[in-house]
Amino acid sequence: MKINWYYFASPATFFRLAGWVAPWMFVLAAILAAAGLYVGFVVAPTDAQQGEVYRVIFIHVPAAWMSMFIYFVMSCYCALSLTFNTRVGAMMARALAPTGAMFTFVALWTGAFWGRPTWGTYWAWDARMTSELVLLFLYFGFIALGNAFEDPRRGDRASALLALIGIVNLPIIYFSVKWWNTLHQGSSVSFRGTSMHVAMLWGMLLMALACWAYAIGASMTRVRAIIIERERRTNWVRALAGARA
Amino acid sequence: MNHAFFIWMSYGATAVAVLVEVASLLVRRSRAFTLVEEEKDLEAQD
Repeated sequence: MKINWYYFASPATFFRLAGWVAPWMFVLAAILAAAGLYVGFVVAPTDAQQGEVYRVIFIHVPAAWMSMFIYFVMSCYCALSLTFNTRVGAMMARALAPTGAMFTFVALWTGAFWGRPTWGTYWAWDARMTSELVLLFLYFGFIALGNAFEDPRRGDRASALLALIGIVNLPIIYFSVKWWNTLHQGSSVSFRGTSMHVAMLWGMLLMALACWAYAIGASMTRVRAIIIERERRTNWVRALAGARA
Repeated sequence: MNHAFFIWMSYGATAVAVLVEVASLLVRRSRAFTLVEEEKDLEAQD
């Protein structure tokens, strides 16, 4: 089956597609989060070394994964927007940034509340935590730079460049625990296997899928608002606003 | 050490962050439609 990508690059088409996808993704996120929390808090056993506080990982690890994954997807949209001058690409990048920043904040916050009872401190300037904090500042910088221009298309180009330069931070975050001697432990899950109990792994994966579905729902809802703002002089948006009133 | 505080602070803050984002999405959507109406009114005045 051949997909006509140009058809989906139209803001009017993408607006309808996003409107169809968003509610289903929020429903899916709620179901997966309920299942993940049930497995994480009821089925998964207590950790022999950390006790009950290890249950913070069911939100901390998925949030950290999403913070990096959203930045990667956002950078891809920025590259698309700069290369092919696609309006929807730039709008999607702008729509993803606040959700990515939210997940980065959650990863840092929950990491601090996991670190206090397990490491004895809320914060340490170790490579993993510092590079994750840099990621949060990159998201803030992307949002601020995009909004600093009166012409949104100029803002799109400037912020896209920043996002593409900042992508160098992703391998630094991922490999920081291998490259440097960090307080943060190495990965418990990899493509080669896991050292975790199967119920712990399932709880974490279900929560990761819930965060993924939520991120799609939130970014699709936000991109619809951005499309309305930018296409407000077009007839189809005016008709839409008229029908709503 | 009582771990309940650390677990509640983690999941509580996450719930607040998600609620704030959902509220901001609703506000932005509403503002976007207000912007369309303002644009229409300005053109009608011209």
